[in-house]
Amino acid sequence: MRDGPNTHVGSMMDVAVSPVLALRKFGCEQSLLSRPDGSSSFVQGDTSVLAGVYGPAEVKISKEIYDRATLEVMIQPKVGLSGVRERAQEHCVRQTCEAALLSTLHPRSSLSLILQIIHDDGSLLSCCLNAACMALMDAGLPMSCLFCGVTCAIEQDGHIVTDPTSQQEKESRALMTFAIDSAERRVMMSSTRGSFSVNELQQCVALSQRASEEIFQFYRDSVRRRYSKTL
Amino acid sequence: MRETPLSNCERQFLLKAIEEKKRLDGRQTYDYRNIKITFGTDYGCCVVDVGKTRVLAQVSCELVAPKDNRPTEGIMFINLELSPMASPAFESGRQSELHVTLNRLLERCLRNSKCLDTESLCVVSGEKVWKIRIDVHVLNHDGNIMDAASIAAITALCHFRRPDVGIQGEEVTIYTPEERDLIPLSIYHMPVSVSFSFFQQGTFLLVDPCEREERVMDGLLVIAMNKHREICSIQSSGGIMLLKEQVLRCNKIASVKVCEITELINKALENDRKVKKEGGKFGFAESMAKERITALKSEIAPVEMIDIEEKAEDIICRTGAPCDTVPSPVVRAPGTGQVGEGLQNAWGLDEVEEEEEEEDDIEQGGPEKQPESETITSKKGDVVVISDSEEEEVVILHQGVEVKDFREEMSSGQKQATSASKKKKKKRKLAH
Amino acid sequence: YNFTYPFSSSISTANGSALVKIGNTTVICGIKGELTCPPSDAPNKGYIVPNVDLPPLCSSRFRPGPPSEQAQVASQFIADVIDSSNVIQKEDLCIEKGKLSWVLYCDIICLDYDGNLLDTCVVALLAALKNARLPEVTINKETDLAEVNTDKLHHLNVSKHPVSSSFSIFDNTIVIVDPTVEEETLSTAMMTVVTDEDDRLCMLHKPGGSALSGEKLQDCISRAVTRHREVSKLIEKVMDSFEPDK
Repeated sequence: MRDGPNTHVGSMMDVAVSPVLALRKFGCEQSLLSRPDGSSSFVQGDTSVLAGVYGPAEVKISKEIYDRATLEVMIQPKVGLSGVRERAQEHCVRQTCEAALLSTLHPRSSLSLILQIIHDDGSLLSCCLNAACMALMDAGLPMSCLFCGVTCAIEQDGHIVTDPTSQQEKESRALMTFAIDSAERRVMMSSTRGSFSVNELQQCVALSQRASEEIFQFYRDSVRRRYSKTL
Repeated sequence: MRETPLSNCERQFLLKAIEEKKRLDGRQTYDYRNIKITFGTDYGCCVVDVGKTRVLAQVSCELVAPKDNRPTEGIMFINLELSPMASPAFESGRQSELHVTLNRLLERCLRNSKCLDTESLCVVSGEKVWKIRIDVHVLNHDGNIMDAASIAAITALCHFRRPDVGIQGEEVTIYTPEERDLIPLSIYHMPVSVSFSFFQQGTFLLVDPCEREERVMDGLLVIAMNKHREICSIQSSGGIMLLKEQVLRCNKIASVKVCEITELINKALENDRKVKKEGGKFGFAESMAKERITALKSEIAPVEMIDIEEKAEDIICRTGAPCDTVPSPVVRAPGTGQVGEGLQNAWGLDEVEEEEEEEDDIEQGGPEKQPESETITSKKGDVVVISDSEEEEVVILHQGVEVKDFREEMSSGQKQATSASKKKKKKRKLAH
Repeated sequence: YNFTYPFSSSISTANGSALVKIGNTTVICGIKGELTCPPSDAPNKGYIVPNVDLPPLCSSRFRPGPPSEQAQVASQFIADVIDSSNVIQKEDLCIEKGKLSWVLYCDIICLDYDGNLLDTCVVALLAALKNARLPEVTINKETDLAEVNTDKLHHLNVSKHPVSSSFSIFDNTIVIVDPTVEEETLSTAMMTVVTDEDDRLCMLHKPGGSALSGEKLQDCISRAVTRHREVSKLIEKVMDSFEPDK
């Protein structure tokens, strides 16, 4: 967001001007489970994900990396066993976390992040990312930056919707999920579905960066609240 | 990851405390920990907390062909998942002994006690029946998974609603919830299991052992019972000998506990129904989510002062307002878009040349290509040689590189590539 | 760019096939069509089932046994590309509504792994689909059975031509196209952009790694567009060269 996003220029593509363009209510709770070293549950509208982090702990020899920690991410669906789709999501979440974590501070150790889907009502991947970030924070792991996930959907008529519900996802023409970093609001991860133009993509990126501000503010508020009593 | 081992002094401390009829969390020997049942936004989903043990259950259904020997009965499938989140000792994808035991116990408690009217799940005899699937995920392991799982499973079953079906001739149509109301399952009775752990060869007994107590116990007795005091299953494990009186005493305790728990489940279900009715269809989802969060809040906040609770309510983050004044991408898009266009134009020019070259190529090389491709393997050598020379053509994009340079670099790269392709073709021709 | 070269029709038992090399990375794609019942929720559609196999043969980093995470991720990526780009209209695969449709098994096997697997797979898939020929199937009205006419072969209707371009990113300052295995392992992030012939994006796949600004993204996208032209021209050329013979 270095070149002022606030400047108004006649838009080529209509940015949807409607109350739909909002993030749903979100909520988060940290360290709600007793066993994991860090845990959080993140709720976006009806979508809800529970995350647990174990580590740094002893690592299996076969998975040991000599100069940094091994991160494992598991996504558990609510019904049935995890399949190829979950594997792909795990891959995205893992690489995003790896980029944010300062894993070189814990060489030859293992970190495991488990995400349990409690309810899916759209924007699942972004909810997973948010829950993951909160859980990593709760576990007190050193990170170079925070990250958050934002999902945008482009409707049939070209309107953009942020944080879509599963109904909106189904009706949409394209769906994009971005992970935005807290340091410079850049795109850490992107995963898309459906076809769209470059213009639409850039709009969605800017929109996500905008939305990320809200989420990071939320992160800050929740952490401030969490530690307000012990100060 | 391995479980942290229990030290000897911890073990002795625990045993000593049990001998003195004291428990770590201040409970009496026959006390249950706090049981809390919360429902999800959709039917058949609930989370059950027994103290710190937390279990999630979800019921789902699908139409399948029935088993050959039971053509008029629906199928009930139970899957208990020990998520690695629950404890570092649990690994995903590996069936541990505990996993198998718990699954089997739950199956006996629910399926073999015939608590569900499976005949009502038949749609077309011998062809289509409902398969009810219960997924139970253990989210946090603090002992007594079995009881938590059985409560969660039966509550989820009671909460679940299946869609209605209509039969016209051979066609079976499933109605959406909008078309016809969902139907609850018919449950005959509600079996709930109660666990007893024994210490010192059965001298001491505790109800609802927590994780640490489970680690030092000698034996375990699990009794599944419904509120009519009918025993659905009973299992003793751990290799201790129990006297008849002991079992009977446990039985008596179990019947009391089961009544309490069943009442709790019914109350929870009733409460949920009421909330749903009041909230109406639209507000229901919202109110449920809110309720769940506040419920957790009130539960945890007093225990751990550090715990944050989200202002899920007050932060209804309306990015809407700032967002619709964001034509910023448009600022960027034409700017950056131009780069793309410029390149395309440059390419357009190049393409003309390239096409000409290619046409020549095709004229010469075209007809001979077909036989060649069948003998690829024999020409592998050529290909390798060429790819070596091309390794240097990797184009590096520097941020600072001006568009023009970039373009030139690109086009020269392309020319080299095409010339390489020509070279390649010629070689192949020779080889042929 | 390293050089791409598709050879088509290298497997005689499959309905369509292609072998593609980008640099040292070699991938072979075979397409096999089978008849099946269409899915109950979409009776007028067929299936496309892609599978990417990374056998131990292609690199010492892969072990025998169940598919590795990378292979599963690649399979999912190819499936997403097929869905997002509509490379084949799934309605075209239906023979009779609710009764019979084609299922296309697209098996992609890596023979030599030297980075940039996804690009190679997408080119191979596209070339193989363009090359694939399915026999004509009619349903006999009296017997209600399908009759396969193997004399009449026809091409698949490939409606879109997705081409992917991968980039290796080094700390948001250097972007390298078409990375080799060394470059991939050393880089801090990977990104794959898939475009179709109308310059629309089908996929912007960046599984984590170091962050990238919007401007950089745009750079990569415009590179991807030019890359698309290059590759589609190449495929066309190869395809054209076949036609006169058949």
